[in-house]
Amino acid sequence: MHELGLTKNIVAIVTEHAKGRQVKRICLSVGPQACVESRALEFCFGIVAEGTVVENATLEIVSAEGDTFLIKEFETEEAA
Amino acid sequence: MCGTCGCSDTENAVTITDPETGETQIVRPGSILDETQSAAPHDHHAHDGDHDHHHHEGDDKPHVHGPGGEIISLETAVLQKNDQIALQNRGWFEGRGVLALNLVSSPGAGKTTLLEATISAINDELDIAVIEGDQMTANDANRIREAGAKALQINTGAGCHLEADMISSAVKTLNPAAGSILFIENVGNLVCPAMFDLGEHMKVAIISTTEGEDKPLKYPHMFRASDLVIVNKMDLAPHVDFDEEACLANIKAVNPDAKVLLLSAKSNQGMDQWLAFLKSEVNAPRVRAVR
Repeated sequence: MHELGLTKNIVAIVTEHAKGRQVKRICLSVGPQACVESRALEFCFGIVAEGTVVENATLEIVSAEGDTFLIKEFETEEAA
Repeated sequence: MCGTCGCSDTENAVTITDPETGETQIVRPGSILDETQSAAPHDHHAHDGDHDHHHHEGDDKPHVHGPGGEIISLETAVLQKNDQIALQNRGWFEGRGVLALNLVSSPGAGKTTLLEATISAINDELDIAVIEGDQMTANDANRIREAGAKALQINTGAGCHLEADMISSAVKTLNPAAGSILFIENVGNLVCPAMFDLGEHMKVAIISTTEGEDKPLKYPHMFRASDLVIVNKMDLAPHVDFDEEACLANIKAVNPDAKVLLLSAKSNQGMDQWLAFLKSEVNAPRVRAVR
């Protein structure tokens, strides 16, 4: 229901840490009690990422315990 | 953050309305894509040409250089910003000795009616302030004011829940007194508010006898996140075939530690236990471990 807002957070946090570099992969860890629907996240990601450095990134979701909801890591495109 | 759920209409701005003055301030504009997309890429790579060892300006995150780019380890909570503001709110409440309770339920469970009954019962003894959260209208804040307490209305637009920054803005205007109770009536929704810490002392979930006994099983996150569950509209229980035993068992199944109170805000039945709970909580020392 609120995955769009969560996706905005994810894109904002990764964009900040990417410091202008293009991002090719974002890895999230999501627990079963996190109240997060992975498919909804993926759907929203396509919309929110447009026009940002994460535009071409793939979203990888790994399962975690409890209510974990973290951006685990992200990978940038080849460094300049 | 999630102030909105699907469109970029300006009608979806988050606003705070003071029912006394009728003044409305915008807390967040309505557009969904402004924050992230305005964060334009910028050139930061200050590689030092004189030696191979390079550093990234202001880069404090552990990272590994792969064959292509870099893998940067973040381990950052997606709701980090909300949680930080919630912590500030919690400190503010604890410092002032304000008991902040986050009331969550489905729409129509009787949150506002419970507050009206509570205010008329103990407004002489205790200072009460209320933050009302709804998508639209200031109806609830007006009802609370008429009942005799200070109230402020937050309208979330399309938003499905309150977030910590909205509470932070609202308490600055509402300014609840030291030693008072601040009720935060969340948007009627048994899903999303469970996820967002507002800095409250505890969440209080309210279900009503007309909703069916299986609500805790259908929406376990909310009942797991609440320390107290109120079963409201007990006066209607005989008319709607409410199975009290099943309801209590269902609450226990998802949250064995939750305290449960059965009452009717309308008939006053069981209200004394709720009022006693509030009086003991407001006087109890409140330093709570962060979850």
